[in-house]
Amino acid sequence: MNLLFQKKSLLIIATLILSVGVFIYSTHSQTIDYNTQVKPIFNKNCITCHGGVRRKAGFSLLFRSEALAKTESGKPAIIPGDPEHSEMIRRLTLKDPEERMPYKHDPLSSNDIDILRKWIKQGAQWGNHWAYIAVQPIPVPAERKFLGFIGASKEDWAKNDIDYFILQKLQEKKLTHSPQADKATLLRRVSLDIIGMPASDQLAQQFYGDKTDKAYENAVDSLLASLHYGERWASMWMDLARYADTKGYERDDARTIWRYRDWLIKSFNANQPYDKFLTEQLAGDLLPNPTDEQLIATAFHRNTMTNDEGGTDNEEFRTSAVLDRVNTTWEALLGTTFACVQCHSHPYDPFSHDEYYKFAAFFNNTRDEDTYADYPLLRSFTDSANEEKNKLDEWLQQHATPGQTKKINQFLKTWQPAINSLYCDEFTNAELNDTKWAAFRNNGLVRLPNTNLNSATELIYRYRAFLPGGVLKIHTDSATGPVITSIPLTVTKNDWQIASIPVIATAGVHNFYLSYINPNLKKPDASGCTFDWFYFTDPFPGEHQPGYEEAKKRYWGLLTMQTPVTPVMQENPDGMRRISHVFERGNWLVKGDVVTPGTPHALNPMPANAPQNRLGLSMWLTSKQNPLTARTMVNRLWEQLFGNGLVESVEDFGTQGIPPTHKELLDYLSYKFMYDYNWDIKKLLKEIVMSATYQQDSKASKDQLDKDQFNKYYARGARVRLSAEQIRDQALNITGLMSNKMYGGSVMPYQPDGIWRSPYDGRTWDLSKGENRYRRAVYTYWKRTAPYPAMMTFDGVAREVCTARRIRTNTPLQALVGLNDEACLDMARKFALRLERAIPKNPQQQITVTYERATGHAIEAPALASLTKLYNVALQKFNAGKNDACKMADDGSIKDDTVATAALVVIINTVLNLDEVVTKN
Amino acid sequence: MTQKELHHQRLVKEASGAYLQAHTRRHFIKESAMGLGALALGSLFGCGSNKSATNPVVFDAAHPLSPKAPMFPGRAKSVIYLHMAGAPSQLELFDYKPELAKLDGQDCPQSLLEGKRFAFIRGVPKMLGPQSNFKQRGESGLWISDHLPHLASIADEITLLKAVTTDQFNHAPAQLLMHTGSPRLGRPSMGSWVTYGLGTENQNLPGFVVLTSGGKNPDAGKSVWGSGFLPSVYQGVQCRSEGDPVLFINDPAGMDRDLRKASIDAINDINQQQYEDYKDPEILSRIAQYEMAYKMQISVPEVMNINDEPQYIHDMYGTKPGSGSFANNVLLARKLVEKGVRFVQLFDWGWDSHGTSADDAVDIGLVNKCRKIDKPVTALLMDLKQRGMLEDTLVVWGGEFGRTPMQENRGGKKMPFKGRDHHTEAFTMWMAGGGIKKGFSYGETDEIGYAAISGKATPFDIQATILNQLGFNHEEFTYQYQGRPFRLTDVAGNVMTDIIA
Repeated sequence: MNLLFQKKSLLIIATLILSVGVFIYSTHSQTIDYNTQVKPIFNKNCITCHGGVRRKAGFSLLFRSEALAKTESGKPAIIPGDPEHSEMIRRLTLKDPEERMPYKHDPLSSNDIDILRKWIKQGAQWGNHWAYIAVQPIPVPAERKFLGFIGASKEDWAKNDIDYFILQKLQEKKLTHSPQADKATLLRRVSLDIIGMPASDQLAQQFYGDKTDKAYENAVDSLLASLHYGERWASMWMDLARYADTKGYERDDARTIWRYRDWLIKSFNANQPYDKFLTEQLAGDLLPNPTDEQLIATAFHRNTMTNDEGGTDNEEFRTSAVLDRVNTTWEALLGTTFACVQCHSHPYDPFSHDEYYKFAAFFNNTRDEDTYADYPLLRSFTDSANEEKNKLDEWLQQHATPGQTKKINQFLKTWQPAINSLYCDEFTNAELNDTKWAAFRNNGLVRLPNTNLNSATELIYRYRAFLPGGVLKIHTDSATGPVITSIPLTVTKNDWQIASIPVIATAGVHNFYLSYINPNLKKPDASGCTFDWFYFTDPFPGEHQPGYEEAKKRYWGLLTMQTPVTPVMQENPDGMRRISHVFERGNWLVKGDVVTPGTPHALNPMPANAPQNRLGLSMWLTSKQNPLTARTMVNRLWEQLFGNGLVESVEDFGTQGIPPTHKELLDYLSYKFMYDYNWDIKKLLKEIVMSATYQQDSKASKDQLDKDQFNKYYARGARVRLSAEQIRDQALNITGLMSNKMYGGSVMPYQPDGIWRSPYDGRTWDLSKGENRYRRAVYTYWKRTAPYPAMMTFDGVAREVCTARRIRTNTPLQALVGLNDEACLDMARKFALRLERAIPKNPQQQITVTYERATGHAIEAPALASLTKLYNVALQKFNAGKNDACKMADDGSIKDDTVATAALVVIINTVLNLDEVVTKN
Repeated sequence: MTQKELHHQRLVKEASGAYLQAHTRRHFIKESAMGLGALALGSLFGCGSNKSATNPVVFDAAHPLSPKAPMFPGRAKSVIYLHMAGAPSQLELFDYKPELAKLDGQDCPQSLLEGKRFAFIRGVPKMLGPQSNFKQRGESGLWISDHLPHLASIADEITLLKAVTTDQFNHAPAQLLMHTGSPRLGRPSMGSWVTYGLGTENQNLPGFVVLTSGGKNPDAGKSVWGSGFLPSVYQGVQCRSEGDPVLFINDPAGMDRDLRKASIDAINDINQQQYEDYKDPEILSRIAQYEMAYKMQISVPEVMNINDEPQYIHDMYGTKPGSGSFANNVLLARKLVEKGVRFVQLFDWGWDSHGTSADDAVDIGLVNKCRKIDKPVTALLMDLKQRGMLEDTLVVWGGEFGRTPMQENRGGKKMPFKGRDHHTEAFTMWMAGGGIKKGFSYGETDEIGYAAISGKATPFDIQATILNQLGFNHEEFTYQYQGRPFRLTDVAGNVMTDIIA
């Protein structure tokens, strides 16, 4: 939103706080409130020099303990109860500009100094920022209170509790609410909001035909039950999850992760409670016996980028992904900017530097490590493979311990936890080829440092061998140490293969040396083989039992089978666990103190039974005592419906965020969301769209514009430009081209040539065929370094990192997309042809139908006149230039209806560009 | 008429054309501003007004691209940034190291390797002497090699920055650092910052234009001209020499200009009616955007068309209309800046001289790359100068890092060709025009060109200096995001006052 406005609203709010504060102070109580009265003074005037980053003169106002501590001068700046001997007050009131604080800035007003004096006198108590205090039950503003002010008729306006909160504020602001929007506007609005596109014809008919009081509610219920609901809300979540079909950075290669999108859609449609929805995404793999679906949910945090650029340090980008998970968790789920704390304690909010790394420690023990393949990957089995798997399970049940079974299943489904070859070091006549795979030349030697093989007796490995005669040996402790296995490598050419070999059991941590000899390698620089990973394990269980060979064969069949894959989370097993450190000043190469997983002190404690891992983290996050989780989601849903959050900075509820316009309403809904609705998202959405506030007409009166140009107080309905996705989906819907196909891999609708030119990437944009060309926007292939340009123009985000809020802009480039994008023209042409055939030679009727489908309401005379005039201009042009008509209508040769169709294409193209079409009224 | 007279006549003609266009534009803006009613209020809050000293930069959603005054009067009005993606070798072009020649073929001393991280070098590499001949050039005596004979002839126009350093040794992160102030994705690029701060002079053209050559986009992709957390209106607009010059700029087949005008008129008529009903100022803004789109459809193809440039200009730049060459892009950069575009960013791909093939050998591929840029870059400086534009156009040339004095030995192997690995500790960039010293060399490296020893310049210093030349204090030029003010230079950067004329 407009910064100007932010400033203005801050001013208004600041004035309000001040006046309310003064009011409270002068009439009700002598107590100064830290949060509303003191903290704003500190944040505005003091904290840049005396805060988390800079502690000039050894003085910091971030925490009470710091503020009361001795400064460099040897005495404390604040002495509770004694303002007259508190150095802070003395320095604020000095005349000498060299000594007076704030240094080199205007002095504080006497009013502010007075507040600080009284606050110190009262004991200099600290207070928690509102957003860090657990949500409390909030009473609905009393109805009768309004009777006196506004009268009974206004009270009738309220449809549910939300409206009483809104009314209270409107009354304060001397604003009057607006009447309900007409039926057509309402249906279009609520459809775009709930399912992301206009309602189906059938639902519209039902709604218009339903003359009962319940008509609107029935429509809302139908929309919430629609399968399109999941697509619309998945679309929103994908910005937070930074979903993309490529890995990012230089190579920006493809990544298959669309099953996560499917999971989101299904999850929203099944109305999975929000706490469960989050738990599965953060820690689905740590749930007891996780299903494939629960594992796919964890792809949420595998949407981090992977750097495949040659020469990159994989540990650097693994670390980078871990920190991104921290930042995303905070920004998306907790509405807090945590990234600052990566380098230093938060300058304004009560989060310390080491708390960032304690939090990061939750994420630092996952198996992924920036490998090219994006391991660990969940291997999805077909139905027939699953049948095989069931038979294998039967065998395991009889012949393996539960522990063995668990390990075997995990490895079978993910090929992990293996030792990836990028863990190797000390390469001699060998290299980490393209920083991806260990490659051996003749007499090659490589080390596996500090490895515990846990007395494993079998090695399963994935490799390529380019020519025969090569043998790989593994030595213990030195290059010439005892050999634990010797592998004659069968040639695979360029195919990767998985094979196994017995090894001699070794206990404890050792360095292992891998040597490779192949006398057939003539060129000293040529590699004979490459290795992807090594998995040390035990032999397949049940040896010597009847049916063993068959079971083992079944296992190997499944293990080596080509399957679709999805990157997922997997926790490191013992022996592979990483130690987490604080990074000094955020630099991953400068490791400070060792830390263990933990959550910040300023927020709720970890629940008593919570383990110190991601599952425990999600228990903490979804605890009803967590002050941020529910508020963040409620605010987000509100923002999606009204265009702005109750806290405008949806990504930051901290003290530097924009204060809420309706804090009580936010808390009321958050409380209800957790305690009454048990995290039921559909119920919450329904509550909001059923309010009179939501249903208001969006026409603005002069008074409303004067007092509240940006509609912060909801005296009228929201009027917001549609999102990039809504614009595409709506156009597909209007023109009748929308494919109803759901789920699956991403598709490639029309895109101009020459958008994809990543280095080292021969991939091309291959225009999808058939109905895949007309799928909903949510299914559009998303390449991070070259995202779909039409959607980017309408403020889509590249999804390299989490984006909590899209900033809407209004630019000429958007006009150019709407007018000239081949995707838009194609839709217009196909629709024109249908219209010309359905109601031939009846421009009035055709224009009317187009307009009404596009806007949802009847066309009025002036619009009809403008469009008719345009139609006639077009008709005349195309009659004079038949060739142009053919091009416009995309007809190979001129036919009876070509000219009329071409004119109609122009009309449809025009209508799709109207403000009322790209805007939600 | 002599060539000189012809040239003069053309300059006069172009000048009057520019005046006319500026006048029409002002007229249009004035009209819209009046029509915009309530919206015009926005411009009272500082945007566009010529307030003195430290004007705060404010985002005005209604007029995000209105021309704005910088914080203080700048020396440069616009920037042409020539990025050689892949990182050209300073040791073959500008940083003359006779001592390194003596060490050619010897093992690299351990002291240079200990505790260092390289992209590809493993084990102990050999030193590699300069693979070019150096001479001192012009009155200034700047060292420039024979690889760049044309540029060498105008050495007295440029300032060499010979001790630039970075801390990123992979292409994508290093390019991001150079252009966005962060090696990670998500920050706005320099051009976006500048457009946010200055708006655009020519409302019929984007304020920030990007041109790429070399067949590929830079390694970091479009993020190097992305708007990060700034509103997307400030992202660079990629202009292309093949296909539509700007995406979606061309009317669909079969639609002529009159019909397009008629359809925009219909859209705006109906939108006006909508405004009467709803009074939403966004509707007026949308009406203005459609007007502007219509004008851009004429002005962009016009400015992107180099066919009408006189032959002597083509000869000077080495341009061939229709190709996607770097030379064409350089000429387009001049045309764009002439038309009021603030920030033109060129990326030329193919400077990554590892020595894995002839194409990326410092003694073969690099020479070819130099040939392709030497003439056009020189022509750009001369052309700007003859038009009196060099004074207020800052031209910046460089890569994302430098190259090692050692020969690359990828995977510990001897390479088939002579190449150098990525190097962070010293490389050369140059600047010209826009209030920068002429014929000046700043910064020094040690005797083998391994490390900067004086006059060190980080990407943040480069950014701070560019912003300074445009009239911005980089420490105060901020955007509020995630609860704190962000700036291009993050928490670092010093203006390199030594190189300012």
